[in-house]
Amino acid sequence: MMKLEAIIQNSKLEAVKAALQEIGVEGMTVLEVRGHGRQKGHTEVYRGREYSVDLIPKTKIEMVLPDALVEKAEQAILSAARTGKIGDGKIFRTRIEEAIRIRNEERGEGAL
Amino acid sequence: MTGSRWLAAIPQTNSGELITFIMAASSPIGELRTSLHDESVRIRREFELTGDGRAAVSGRTRLVEEILARLWRDIICADESKPANFSLVATGGFGRGWLFPYSDIDILFLFGDRESEQEFKDPVRRFSQELWDLRLKLSPASRTLSECERYDPNNTEFTISLLDCRYLAGDRDLFRRLHDKVIPKLVMKESKALLQGLAEVTRERYTKQGMTLYHLEPNIKEVPGGLRDCNVASWLALISAIDKLRDWPDASSLRAPVRKQLDAALEFLMSARCFLHFRQGRDDNTLSWEAQDEAASRRIGVPDTENLSAADWMRIYFGHARSVQRTVGQLLQEIPEAWSALYRQVQSWRSRLTTADFSVVDGLIFLQQPSALQDPEVLLRLFHFMAHHGLRLSATTEYRIEQALPALAATPPRGAELWLYLQETLLQPYAADALRAMHSLRLLPLLLPEFKLIDSLVVRDFYHRFTVDEHSFIAIESLHRLKQSQSEWDKRYAELLGELENPELLYLALLLHDTGKGLPADEHIVGSLEVANRAMDRLDVDPRERAEVLFLIASHLELSAALRRDIFDPANVAAFAEKIGTPERLKMLALLTYADIKAVNPEALTPWKAENIWQLYMAADNYLNRSADQRVHTDVNDEKLARLRSLAPVTGNKFRAFLEGFPQRYLLVHTAEEVMRHLQMADELTGDPVQVELKRGRHWYELTLVTTDRPALFAKLAGVLAAWGMNIVKANAFSNQAGIVVDTLYFTDRFRTLELNLSEWDRFRRSVASVLLGEADLDKMLRDRQRSEKTGIAKVKVETKIEFDDASSPTTTIVQVIAQDRPRLLHRIASCFSAQQCNIEIALIDTEGQMAIDTFYLTSSARKLSAEHCRTLEKFLTHELKAE
Repeated sequence: MMKLEAIIQNSKLEAVKAALQEIGVEGMTVLEVRGHGRQKGHTEVYRGREYSVDLIPKTKIEMVLPDALVEKAEQAILSAARTGKIGDGKIFRTRIEEAIRIRNEERGEGAL
Repeated sequence: MTGSRWLAAIPQTNSGELITFIMAASSPIGELRTSLHDESVRIRREFELTGDGRAAVSGRTRLVEEILARLWRDIICADESKPANFSLVATGGFGRGWLFPYSDIDILFLFGDRESEQEFKDPVRRFSQELWDLRLKLSPASRTLSECERYDPNNTEFTISLLDCRYLAGDRDLFRRLHDKVIPKLVMKESKALLQGLAEVTRERYTKQGMTLYHLEPNIKEVPGGLRDCNVASWLALISAIDKLRDWPDASSLRAPVRKQLDAALEFLMSARCFLHFRQGRDDNTLSWEAQDEAASRRIGVPDTENLSAADWMRIYFGHARSVQRTVGQLLQEIPEAWSALYRQVQSWRSRLTTADFSVVDGLIFLQQPSALQDPEVLLRLFHFMAHHGLRLSATTEYRIEQALPALAATPPRGAELWLYLQETLLQPYAADALRAMHSLRLLPLLLPEFKLIDSLVVRDFYHRFTVDEHSFIAIESLHRLKQSQSEWDKRYAELLGELENPELLYLALLLHDTGKGLPADEHIVGSLEVANRAMDRLDVDPRERAEVLFLIASHLELSAALRRDIFDPANVAAFAEKIGTPERLKMLALLTYADIKAVNPEALTPWKAENIWQLYMAADNYLNRSADQRVHTDVNDEKLARLRSLAPVTGNKFRAFLEGFPQRYLLVHTAEEVMRHLQMADELTGDPVQVELKRGRHWYELTLVTTDRPALFAKLAGVLAAWGMNIVKANAFSNQAGIVVDTLYFTDRFRTLELNLSEWDRFRRSVASVLLGEADLDKMLRDRQRSEKTGIAKVKVETKIEFDDASSPTTTIVQVIAQDRPRLLHRIASCFSAQQCNIEIALIDTEGQMAIDTFYLTSSARKLSAEHCRTLEKFLTHELKAE
């Protein structure tokens, strides 16, 4: 089992969700986050005052998947989230030791 | 059980379990378990057939009593009326005789002294264990009689539970001492503390429930107006009665009409709770959507009605909850002892707010003349008063209002006068509370029948937590609370709110924006617009205000939709800003979106979202200020142009020539009627080359100038106003292709010259014309003014900033000046431009507190300013604005 964490542009959330659902990803967690990579912050001057945003609002999607689905999921995210500009985001992959369903204590990939 | 059935019933498992099973089947506990099971099934079946919650609850109470009696005999003492010094007492819900299918069983092991408590420690443990083995959820307490005499402020709930105590078994005399002596004595001694404790616990519960009963999926036990409140009403009345009578009252302590209303609510809520318990198989009191569907189809609590939708069933529920909550509210009011000392002090101070119409006693509004409510105006003033001061209506006043409603219904107030009262009420800091009171007393649907569509309306939405009407009230409340909030984001939005020209329109839009959800349609916005139009017809809202409200309702999801795109992409910002059109509408929409999201549920407006809304707002505002010069072309098919053409069928070419070349912004900030008036004024220029119109608005005076463009025109206009001591707050200055200028200046009359002297209006208008025609000496006028005026010291220091933007406009250079607002500022800035041979194509003037924010679209010789020209102008302006 693998955990995928994808940080994407907010405007790409619906497209990424749809793409993942299409390939059979049934569960995910979505978080409102802030951050930056190489994309620098944004400064807006409003009425003479500068409003700097160093940590840009982004969306993070997390999901734990059976190994067989991981590559497909990564491709789905890449296709749906890409604009080609700096700030598109990143995907991180980590191995998961165990998953347990709280309701009935089912374990392993069956719990996903 | 016969042998073969025995064998069939034996579980096919290990021997340990088998032994347990055999022992269980043949033991007293086994018999009890069987009885409990069989009787529970019978009670449930009975409920499925009749829906009678009270019968189910009584049945279960009797069943548990029998089990307790049996166990008492088996474990404690064969004689149920013994042993001495030890009693079994039902308390809380069990004491009341209300045992719901899966609720806890509240019992008290009462001992005469510590020794008895020690003596029966083991039997009590076994007794409790047997009950747990029977899967009965026990909530036991163990006290000596003397311990029951003491009130623990940290455990008000225990003392309150004693108010429902009932003898079950054991020493009857011990119980009588508790009931007849200890409890009345305790209540008399501690009535104030008990009432305060009960009120405090109730307030805490209300706070946890968001201070509202209008949840989409309410917990019918805990929510305001739920079962817990039914108990609170009884306890409040009982404590007061015992305190007065120095004994238990003979009959119910509640007044008969109140009792009747509570009983009706109780019947309904009991049935609903039994239904939920049986459905969920546990003590779960939440009316989920699925439960609502089933309750409606089974007509739970309303067996004699026709088929009901879930929404209609919930309306019945909310009706009962409302009446229970009002009863509790009234009882809490009537019992000043229920208030904390600090609260009493505050309410006592508020008595100073008494007026000729209303007296304020202990924070409650009473009518000086009860019969005054025959005049609808008094009624409207009452709610305005309530909204302004944040006071509550006394029970007597509520009663009077209810009595006055039938007469009011015959000829309800309507029209401009009603709108005047409504908008003034909407602007008050406690408007939401006043609206809730009007709604609860059925006055709001009388004044605005359209609001009935969303009365207690449950709309199934994962994110929303409250009914549609409550959502609208919370949204209005969220905006009013901005001013008190310490959060960084709330402060920013509070600043925006303070800048609105017509905040009452925003509040009206919030009140009506979701009314369309009460209509059968896929898209609620269309319905809301239709409803809002009807409501505004009733209120006689003028076309300009109506247009703003309809715009807000139509666009109330636009900003949220825009947030789903890249808000740092200039193209997205431009598209969004152009949809909105003007900075004023943008401000209102940002605030409406903020309030709308905040009212969805307490967690909905995260700082992340608040920041995104702000970012988009800023970017769009900057775009609007830097794109004001997109010109009107009369050959374009546009809704506004079409409306104008329909108003001016005979003007033909004149109309086209007048409009051609004005910026789009001109059409956005002026109504069609205003544009027609400007056209008329332009038409009269041959006779009178300077057309000036002056009128008094709600907040400011409004001067409109129509004339032909000439050098330093705007500077002179600003100058003459400064010379008259007027403070320009906002201004829009536009010109068309033919060189006709339409300048609108909004100003305050600092020395009340116009306010106090009607004759000065004409002199003022003539003064403007004389200055513009070069017939009067503006410099002298300004010097005279300066001599007579003292320059005050600014409370807030604003640093001067001058920003040049050469990129946003293809034909002009945009200059934004941020500076300390002071007399003659605009005149001095405009004079600088004139002195530097800059022509003002468009001026957008705004003031935020002590900060002047002025944006100018400049040309020189009909072209953008060169870089060198910009540098010279900046130096000149900086020097000019520093010198004072």
